[in-house]
Amino acid sequence: MKIFTKIVLPVLLLASASPLLAQYTFFTPKEAFAIEVSLPNSAEKRLPMYRNAITSLHVQGDRVIGGTTAEEGLSPYLFIASLSDRKLVTTKDLQDIIPGQKSIATGFCKGAGNVLYAGTMPHTTKNPQAGHLIQVSLGSGDVIEVKDLGAPVAGEGIFTLLSNTQGTELYGISYPSGRFFTYNIASKKTQVYDDVAPKEKELNNLHEYAVGPEVYLCKSLILDNAGIVYGSTAGNRVFAFDPNKKTFEFLENPLPAVWGREVLGQVEAWAKAPDGRLYGGNAGDGQLFVLDPTTKKIKNLGKPTMMPRLQALAFGGDGKLYGLAGGAPGYSHLFYYDEKGAGFVDLGNPEFTMVAPGIEQGIMWRGFQLSTLAASADGKYMVIGENEALSQLMVFPVEK
Amino acid sequence: MKSICRVWLLLLCAVSTFAQKPAISEKQVAFIEYPDFPEAHSTWGSIGYNAAANTVHIGVTNHANNIGLYTFNPVQNVMKLNGFIRDMANLRPYQWQGKIHSKIVAAPDGSIYFSTDGGESREEYLMEHPQGYAGGFIMKWDPKNGLKNLGIGMQYESIKDVDIDPKTGTLYAITYPQAHFLVYNPEKNKMRDLGRLASSHVPRVLFTDWWGNCYYVDWRQRLVKYEKDSESLVFARESLPAFPGTPGSKIITGITAFAKDEAKGIIYLITYGAKVIAFHPQKEGIGKVEDLGGVFDTGKEDAWGPYVPNLNIGKNGKLYYIIGGHDNYVLKDKTVLMEFDPATRKSVILKTYPSTEITEATGYDIRDKDGNLYFAARRNPSGVGDNTRPFMIQFNPEKEIRK
Repeated sequence: MKIFTKIVLPVLLLASASPLLAQYTFFTPKEAFAIEVSLPNSAEKRLPMYRNAITSLHVQGDRVIGGTTAEEGLSPYLFIASLSDRKLVTTKDLQDIIPGQKSIATGFCKGAGNVLYAGTMPHTTKNPQAGHLIQVSLGSGDVIEVKDLGAPVAGEGIFTLLSNTQGTELYGISYPSGRFFTYNIASKKTQVYDDVAPKEKELNNLHEYAVGPEVYLCKSLILDNAGIVYGSTAGNRVFAFDPNKKTFEFLENPLPAVWGREVLGQVEAWAKAPDGRLYGGNAGDGQLFVLDPTTKKIKNLGKPTMMPRLQALAFGGDGKLYGLAGGAPGYSHLFYYDEKGAGFVDLGNPEFTMVAPGIEQGIMWRGFQLSTLAASADGKYMVIGENEALSQLMVFPVEK
Repeated sequence: MKSICRVWLLLLCAVSTFAQKPAISEKQVAFIEYPDFPEAHSTWGSIGYNAAANTVHIGVTNHANNIGLYTFNPVQNVMKLNGFIRDMANLRPYQWQGKIHSKIVAAPDGSIYFSTDGGESREEYLMEHPQGYAGGFIMKWDPKNGLKNLGIGMQYESIKDVDIDPKTGTLYAITYPQAHFLVYNPEKNKMRDLGRLASSHVPRVLFTDWWGNCYYVDWRQRLVKYEKDSESLVFARESLPAFPGTPGSKIITGITAFAKDEAKGIIYLITYGAKVIAFHPQKEGIGKVEDLGGVFDTGKEDAWGPYVPNLNIGKNGKLYYIIGGHDNYVLKDKTVLMEFDPATRKSVILKTYPSTEITEATGYDIRDKDGNLYFAARRNPSGVGDNTRPFMIQFNPEKEIRK
């Protein structure tokens, strides 16, 4: 038997496989998971290629509601995924309701009850259509019900959208002119204001930097506890709109900027803290800042990573402010900001396990281009949406 | 008597487990060194055959910032350094390149194409930092005109592999770490990014069929075809065959090697999960996929375990590959030269080498006019760390190599 142990067995022993995986440590909390929502030519329910960049995201109970952006000539989708079943359950092609649209990228605003609102952006064709407001609700059996509320600004897309606390009025920024509008849900009446749209002199300056409206128009609006709406305008400024007085105020403090790069100033994410302070993300150089609505002062909190962009912000159930910093041509980094603790903590690229029929053993999914972030209402989960040719959902738990 | 019988039975068992042909002649194998590059460290699939000139081309790296481009002429039996990439491409220090990771592909006119790769940890996250990685380039070289830099694929991204449509000159590329599939028309300088196709790990291999369509895999190890006529991607419905229990980390890495038998209309593939597959491409749509079994009879060990980053096909229609590398060896501290007969689906060991003599070999589908097959190999004589030296293996499965 010694011969077997000494000669034959070693020959029979095979070296274990060591996969050639990247040598970095990823953010992979226990119980985190990815949901495969995009996959071409599948027997499973999935979103098709190039029509699935997850640019709007909302969590309602166990359901994740997503809105996508499509590539040129294709139409976007709305979808529902189940957190408990970890799968995509419903898809709806926007083309069936409003043809000629490219994206649902405003995020979802809450209306009365469980009704959601979003705006669309049309394709940039020779005869572009206008973007529409849509009302989205979840019917029984995970049916997505979409109602077309029409185009609030003729010939313009809807770049940004927000609802008031009561869910009775919507506020938005049109594209490409950058006009502010209000939409009364009950009366369906729209009012359009030119106050925050860039003027000719500003446009000439912007032209010298070769930046377009997607860079300088306000990408995100927020409401303070007094019902005032805040957003950014070209030139690195922040405005406040009072819906009662229908007046605009431009704050004294500009957005935080890197010298010489003020032209890139754009708020692309907001999150309201429990104490009412407003945290914002500046796309230009990726600074996080806080706006105190009582003093109207802005404080620059710094940059979580070296890159521009700060695409999403949301408070987790653990009280931390989570966000998505950076993006193409680099990669997005998930980070959190803990004012009372470590300050900025860069979690890097998340890498979560994806399990689905056909990949029951599980595969690791690494998030590179992350565009949207939403917290579940119970605060237990943070949900990330990707912006890829084939985008997936990435979900991680937070401790309350 | 009892113990003699036991040993005899065990030996019989061992012989059947590792079927072995009579040893191949030493004159069927040649180890060829790369001259004039004392700091050379390795090769990484960076080898290819140029049918127009009957030459083999190799990119050899110090695995830091210098890459030598070599040409081997099998008729003259001469290995020649053509020059270093950073000089020939006029790269500045901030455009450093760690290696050529792609195979080297040839156009009908004798030009060769390849791409460059960061190769080091600093490539992936430092980006615009002074030590960061600018991005991998696509390059063209021919002996008359020298090297032409065709530009970056994606900013900050390496290019792991390229292939060519020989009819149109269209180049295909896959980037690292985001696994974007690129289609590049050099005549029009038109780069098209078809987006990300993989998950956490980037499958390293692209291959083309005889119509010029290009293939890759998605994260489910399904074939993804760039169909040149429709200029779009076609995804296979089913995943490539895999052994039960193949870990997800192997599935997402796809195929490691290919070799073409155009006469039979077959492209042979080896997966990262150690399957040998006969793929029958068709001009439109995805063709038939045939599971030929494993690369090696692993006995009781996991069949998906062996690591085979290379594959060649002989004039006899049989497949040849070397198992081992990246600390994964089927025989302790040995790399194994294998012959696989697709007709019988049987594999035999032709020869074993100490892993200090051949530590790892790469290269796909490289056969010269005399039937010699080529592998880009490296050796670690000390067996410690990653202190390797590259060399090329020339192997003729049917006869002695003509000198």
